Amino acid sequence: MTAVPTPSRTYDLSFARWVRENVEGGDKLNMCMQCGMCSGSCPNGQEMDNGPRKLFMMVRAGLKDEVLSSSTLWECTSCYRCYVRCPRGIPVTTIVQHLAALAAKEGYAPKNKVENYFFSKAFWWSAESFGKTDERLVTMKYFFSFGFGEGIRKALDNLKIALGMIKAGRMHIGLPHTIKNKSQLKAMIAKAKELEQKG
Amino acid sequence: MTFVERRGTMAQDGPHSQTIAVIGGGIAGLTAALEAAETGYDVILIEKEPALGGRVTRLNRYFPKFCHPTCGLEINYQRLRKNPRVKVLTMHEVVAVDGEKGNYTITAKKLPRFVNEKCTACGECGKVCETEIDDPYNYGMSKVKAARLPHEHAWPMRYVIDPVVKGTDDQKRIEEACKYGAVDFSEEEEEVTINAGAIVWATGWRPYDARKLETYHYDSSPDIINNVEMERLANHDGPTGGKVVRPSNGEPAKKVALIQCAGSRDVNHLPYCSMICCLASLKHAAYVLEQYEDAEVHMYYIDIRAHDKMQTFYERLKVDPRLKFIKSKPAEIGLGEDGRPYVKGERTIDRELYCESYDLVVLATGMEPEAKGVDIKGDVVKDEDGFVLALEGEDGGQFSCGVAAGPFDVALSTMSGTAAALKAIQAVGAR
Ligand SMILES: Cc1cc2nc3c(=O)[nH]c(=O)nc-3n(C[C@H](O)[C@H](O)[C@H](O)COP(=O)(O)OP(=O)(O)OC[C@H]3O[C@@H](n4cnc5c(N)ncnc54)[C@H](O)[C@@H]3O)c2cc1C
Ligand code: SF4
Ligand code: SF4
Repeated sequence: MTAVPTPSRTYDLSFARWVRENVEGGDKLNMCMQCGMCSGSCPNGQEMDNGPRKLFMMVRAGLKDEVLSSSTLWECTSCYRCYVRCPRGIPVTTIVQHLAALAAKEGYAPKNKVENYFFSKAFWWSAESFGKTDERLVTMKYFFSFGFGEGIRKALDNLKIALGMIKAGRMHIGLPHTIKNKSQLKAMIAKAKELEQKG
Repeated sequence: MTFVERRGTMAQDGPHSQTIAVIGGGIAGLTAALEAAETGYDVILIEKEPALGGRVTRLNRYFPKFCHPTCGLEINYQRLRKNPRVKVLTMHEVVAVDGEKGNYTITAKKLPRFVNEKCTACGECGKVCETEIDDPYNYGMSKVKAARLPHEHAWPMRYVIDPVVKGTDDQKRIEEACKYGAVDFSEEEEEVTINAGAIVWATGWRPYDARKLETYHYDSSPDIINNVEMERLANHDGPTGGKVVRPSNGEPAKKVALIQCAGSRDVNHLPYCSMICCLASLKHAAYVLEQYEDAEVHMYYIDIRAHDKMQTFYERLKVDPRLKFIKSKPAEIGLGEDGRPYVKGERTIDRELYCESYDLVVLATGMEPEAKGVDIKGDVVKDEDGFVLALEGEDGGQFSCGVAAGPFDVALSTMSGTAAALKAIQAVGAR
């Protein structure tokens, strides 16, 4: 993945092109006819500054900073209404989610949104690897998402709580929780990903 | 069915029939049939409805000049009367076509009319008939006697009786009322085959089913209608005698929303632009503005498609301050708590979210090709949307015109009708 370009001129297409190539579903963005069906359908639309339609126009206009700091990215509840209703078959939700991930990575997201983003990644990593969420591993993975030093600091900060939980029998020691047929789960996830790819 | 039988024997004469069959008696099919017949060819015009004219018979006025559709149709019927070469089969629904140039076999379902050619349209059968049915001429917005004239300009000018009365007391009353021996309840639905050397598809369109637009809740209120129903509301022989009123309570429909692209330009419905509905809605705006001084009409659109000369029609209407254009594809339409329909969505010019109530909401549903369900074989194809197209560069004998070929207005439909007639003549060869 190339670095995200920062447009220099008005009508600089570099950001739009980059999104097209690097954001999942971004290649469909140029199909958008600005009809408003997505934003009008959004149950959380009142809370959003721009809504997906305007956001997509801003991508086209090269407004990188405005796009990546838009509240729309974080107000999306993934209800998929826009996705199923879009008359041009654009995967609206997917694009919004991936722009949110990009914003987190590029340091545009508000602090709590970054935390949410790291946490959900850690959660998913555990679920995918073990078929279960192991609270210790999820927590460690989450802490170290902020970098090595920050990970150690966060871990030490929480040591007392962890010990308390072990004592109270709320956190186990030993091998991570896992499910029996992990290979079947893997196959299911692979299939789901394949179906998602197909749209 | 002596005529069909005669054609049947003709088929045995040899594989080189010079007869041209036109499937569909709308404005496009009528044009194709007459153009071919007037150059000396035998034509069979096959129509599934009891009368000719197709969808335009149910329009109130034509854009852009607001002339009456009956006027143009009448001219065609006069040409038809003068021309013995066109044989008209009404109530024949074509279900399949097979064969090749010079020798096509057309299979049609012949539906019983229960009234033969002795009918003088005196109307006695209608007077005694007690059963009423949803009037198909008014898209079910009103009731009509089961024994009826399809509409006041019907061609042929002959009554038709709905099968529901068969075996009832109405049947007896109707049989006794007819003084001309024109009523015949022994007619049955049957399958007939028709032979022809070339075929012109002119099967036209049907309005896209508004019920499929789930978020527009067409069934939730009688005040949410589609655009063909709006034509009936405005027409003097429509369900309200031409008054644009709220179907729910008969009150004036002064605040009206027109919803563009209801089903068209949508990958979940009809992916193509239906071409005429922007203009039809502008016409509908004019119907309302004409009737009420204090009217308020809002047209919700993605972009207004008033192609070439129609731009002036659009410009002319645009100056009326009572007509507002709102750039937005509404996300939701439904019945509000005040008993009026509401329209909800995002105004894309200023990103305001809106929810507005109306007396009447008109969905500008697109045109879906009627040939979708017909089994066609041979030198013609249906594209992915169901339009019938002659194969490019092929030496075939099947052609198409009117909305069977693409989403055309009347002018383009008649032009393509003439073009298809010429192609069909070339296909069957010089006489
Ligand atoms: C709301 C609305 C308003 C419009 N207003 C205007 C206007 O003001 N001006 C304008 O220029 N255009 C207007 N149009 C467009 C116009 O209606 C069409 O261009 C016109 O109807 C096309 O004629 P046609 O003969 O191709 O099709 P149709 O009128 O649909 O005729 C087709 C005929 O074929 C018959 N048929 C179908 N299948 C079979 C079968 N299997 N066997 C036998 N017969 C069959 C049908 O019964 C019908 O009679 C409007 C359209 C809409 C939706
Ligand atoms: S619904 Fe689809 S086409 Fe319409 S504005 Fe949203 S993304 Fe664009
Ligand atoms: S003519 Fe207008 S309303 Fe009809 S599909 Fe095209 S853009 Fe939409």
